[in-house]
Amino acid sequence: MSELLAKVAELLGAPETLVQRSAEARAEASGNTVDEVLQSWAGGESVSSTTPAAKEAPAEEAPVEEVKEEVVSESTQVNVEQVIEEETVELKNESSLAFIAGVIGVAVFTYFFAFSIPKNQSADLVAEALNNEIVVSQEVLKGAEVYNQLNCQSCHTQNVRLLIPDSQNGKILKNKFANETIIKNTGLLRLGPDLSTSATREPTNNSNWLARYLTDSASVRDEIPHPNYDFLSATDLDYLLTYLLSLGEVNE
Amino acid sequence: MKIKLIPSNEQDLSRVFIFLLPLVVLLTASVNFLRDAFMSFSNILPGNQVLNYGFLDKVSNQVSFNFLFSFILVLTVVYLLSKSLGRSIIIFPIFFLTGLGLIGIEFVDVVIGFVAPEQLETLGNTSMLLLLKILLVAAFLGLIFLNLLAKKEPSIFLSSQFLIGAVIFYFISLLIFRSDYTVMSDNFFINSMYLSTHIYVGCSFVFLAIFYFLITKGLGATLFSKTLGTISFWGYLFLLPWTGFKYFYGTTLPDWIENVSIYLSISLIIPLLALIVNYSKTVATKENKEPIFSVLISFAFVVFGITNVLQIVSSIANVTPIVSLTNFEYSVRYGYMYSLILIMIPFVYYLVPKIYGRELTYGRLESFNAYLIGICVVVSLSLNALIGINSGFAWNAGANAGNPTIYGEGFLITWSLVSASYTFNLFFSLLFLLGTFLFAVTTLKAIIGGTVTESETVLEVTGDSDE
Repeated sequence: MSELLAKVAELLGAPETLVQRSAEARAEASGNTVDEVLQSWAGGESVSSTTPAAKEAPAEEAPVEEVKEEVVSESTQVNVEQVIEEETVELKNESSLAFIAGVIGVAVFTYFFAFSIPKNQSADLVAEALNNEIVVSQEVLKGAEVYNQLNCQSCHTQNVRLLIPDSQNGKILKNKFANETIIKNTGLLRLGPDLSTSATREPTNNSNWLARYLTDSASVRDEIPHPNYDFLSATDLDYLLTYLLSLGEVNE
Repeated sequence: MKIKLIPSNEQDLSRVFIFLLPLVVLLTASVNFLRDAFMSFSNILPGNQVLNYGFLDKVSNQVSFNFLFSFILVLTVVYLLSKSLGRSIIIFPIFFLTGLGLIGIEFVDVVIGFVAPEQLETLGNTSMLLLLKILLVAAFLGLIFLNLLAKKEPSIFLSSQFLIGAVIFYFISLLIFRSDYTVMSDNFFINSMYLSTHIYVGCSFVFLAIFYFLITKGLGATLFSKTLGTISFWGYLFLLPWTGFKYFYGTTLPDWIENVSIYLSISLIIPLLALIVNYSKTVATKENKEPIFSVLISFAFVVFGITNVLQIVSSIANVTPIVSLTNFEYSVRYGYMYSLILIMIPFVYYLVPKIYGRELTYGRLESFNAYLIGICVVVSLSLNALIGINSGFAWNAGANAGNPTIYGEGFLITWSLVSASYTFNLFFSLLFLLGTFLFAVTTLKAIIGGTVTESETVLEVTGDSDE
């Protein structure tokens, strides 16, 4: 059998251990003996006929398409089966359905218990604990949209946390009902300064300074890089300033 | 080299993908480099509506986490699914159209972003586009299920398991993204869960699918333990979606979910250990002695491991308040993405001879590039983690000293601690761009001018319907 195994391994260009395991798996699946499987691989017409083709294939200028056609057949099937045996998790045919059901089950569990339920719970908590429905002007809302379009929230938060390092320095946002854009503007990462109390601090409470900073930041503060939004229209800049100057006045 | 625009089987489709993938990776690295440049030198570089950090950050996220991710996902499913199931893909034309639609819709987002940047806010997020995306992913998922149920063999690749997990959670992430923002905490819930399901689960599962394929088939090794592979699969599937909440520690999220997130993040040690043992024992039996191939897989694995360690470290009680809301999360997010990009390189190198019938020689350039990209990624992740820790410390120290370092007037102190890291990060971003360029060059060189070799063929299944 070892000679047969070596012959098949040579024919397939695969390690003997793998060929043996593949043959065992095939034998188990088909109800034949390992020797019979090896015999069929070694002596089968398809194997013997394709081997020379495979050797001829690497001709210098041979197009790939031709190589492909020559190599197709039983030997490829054997290779694929060999791979499957090599690194698979055994499942019975009907277990595919169980596997799919299991993964979907985890996904549904995650959706409800990690997202939907706590999200609703959180909304209820905010609704019960607070009673300060947000009221802002249309100019502020338009400014919030400009802020969002410029993606300012990718660097700046408006989110002082309940932690000592944060809460010692400012107030905690706790708006109950707010516009979707304003909620999104609270930001997720704090790469630049937090802006939750921007309008209550020097010099960001000064509209002239703020306008210069937004259009030519280096002219008023060059230590920290900040993008210049000199391409904004005068109207959009006004809206943005109105919004920034409202921060700290609402949401308390 | 012959590429069919309308492929008739998965091999033809893989051929198109492999040709385009290095270019998509190069596009991603270019946009990321531009973004980093405009982060560090935004007040020096000439800016406009497109060339500013805010816009580039959005485009960068769109290109990296949506376009590149969907591209890699479809490529991997197209190639690995048939190999995993031991049969060619059924209903291939619909499969092809669905995959193409998925990539196309993500690409359209990027293109419109450049054509009409003022509309960027609505991109990828409008009801219509998102709905279309959900439908396409649902169809893609359905086709995968059909293929899985139609398989012949009483077994399934670990790779297939991970791919199915990735697509299911991709679908879930899109459903989450459609949720309404009614109170402030919704911002954290929606984004945290979208991040966890789309990037943490999505990227890591596609990575693991390719990883298991390469360490066995690519390296010619025998998988050490199927059980450990299964532990990794179910472990990551249960744990990863919960791990994002801790980066919003102290915000208006309920305390219990922050705590659960912390405990489950620490539990990542279980699937990670299973993966490490499986990898090290499997690699010990490898037949493929090509060192560069192994080095690339090792780098990808190291980056994935580091990312997991960062997730675990950030769950330590004293560290969580410091690193939450900081750049630290960036290193985790990009850790999963970079490990996926890194594992794609050996995967493409493996596929070029198989699909194109052209030999890829591992010369000095490939060797240099493997180390260049690997080191760049590791350093970049470390720098982002360092920026996160430094800024977190600055906020704490500032609060204790009565100096409000999280606001504009005190932020200079924080910036002085992190600015050098940002500059180094930019430098390594440039090197990474160079690495992806060299990757594109080596791949295209092999495809166009490599020595002709034996190519792989599609297994035509006969008589399936009768069985």
